[in-house]
Amino acid sequence: MTGRLAEYLIRRACRRLPADTRDDRCREWTAEVRAILEDPGTGPAMLRSARALGYALGIWKCAHHPRLREQSARRAGVVRVARGVGIYLGILGLVAGFGLVFGMPQGPLPAILIIVLALCFDGFCLTDLARAREVRYLPKWGWALACLVQSPLGGIMYLSAGRVRS
Amino acid sequence: MKLTKPLERVLKTFLAHPDQPRYGYDLMQAARLPSGTLYPMLARLQDEGLVTSQWELPGDGDRDSSGRPPRKYYQLTGEGVRVARLEIAQAASRQAPAAARRTVQRSARPSPGSAQ
Repeated sequence: MTGRLAEYLIRRACRRLPADTRDDRCREWTAEVRAILEDPGTGPAMLRSARALGYALGIWKCAHHPRLREQSARRAGVVRVARGVGIYLGILGLVAGFGLVFGMPQGPLPAILIIVLALCFDGFCLTDLARAREVRYLPKWGWALACLVQSPLGGIMYLSAGRVRS
Repeated sequence: MKLTKPLERVLKTFLAHPDQPRYGYDLMQAARLPSGTLYPMLARLQDEGLVTSQWELPGDGDRDSSGRPPRKYYQLTGEGVRVARLEIAQAASRQAPAAARRTVQRSARPSPGSAQ
């Protein structure tokens, strides 16, 4: 009876999880509930039922937790990298469209402006990088190199993929 | 990595026997944590590559595991052991000067009645 209720709660909780981890989690937690119920070392049957139910309630509550609802890290990484490339292409497209509509800017002033803007952006990325406690996928110096060599793209990739929000 | 109290308890539990894989309920009891706190934490440690998990093999259990489904076991990776030891040592060194300072302040405070 209690076992059924506990397993029902776990099934409900698992429904809220992303598809790629759902079955795995469900099997893991159901196995734990069965083991708690069947382990005579835990205590008398009443106590075991209460423990199993408490366990399932905890699971039911934590299925809302962002860490469990997140897709597996590798897939999330691919999504972030794709988003970075998308943002970069979008900016390129905007600039190209702007140039086509209003005519290409000529002369040294726009070039200086663009260089100054790019330098400001690099500076922003590098200070953010220096302050970050941890970064993903590349070591810090790798991201710094990417920011400097691939001037706007490296910075955009760092902000979208490598940065860990605190 | 921010070392919260529950996380510290989990890491200490793992470090007590770094080579021994533990299942979720075992960790809950050893670290005195509810399941709703433990599993998100384990998921995070796994994402960071500090903990690995594996399914119990059939006939691998300590008791007759024939009747029940296999459990999942968690274990610190080599990197996990290193990071956990480091974090706990850092936490201890952060707390130690603070505690010492409190003691000094308490003893330095002039006692009532003393001339000063």
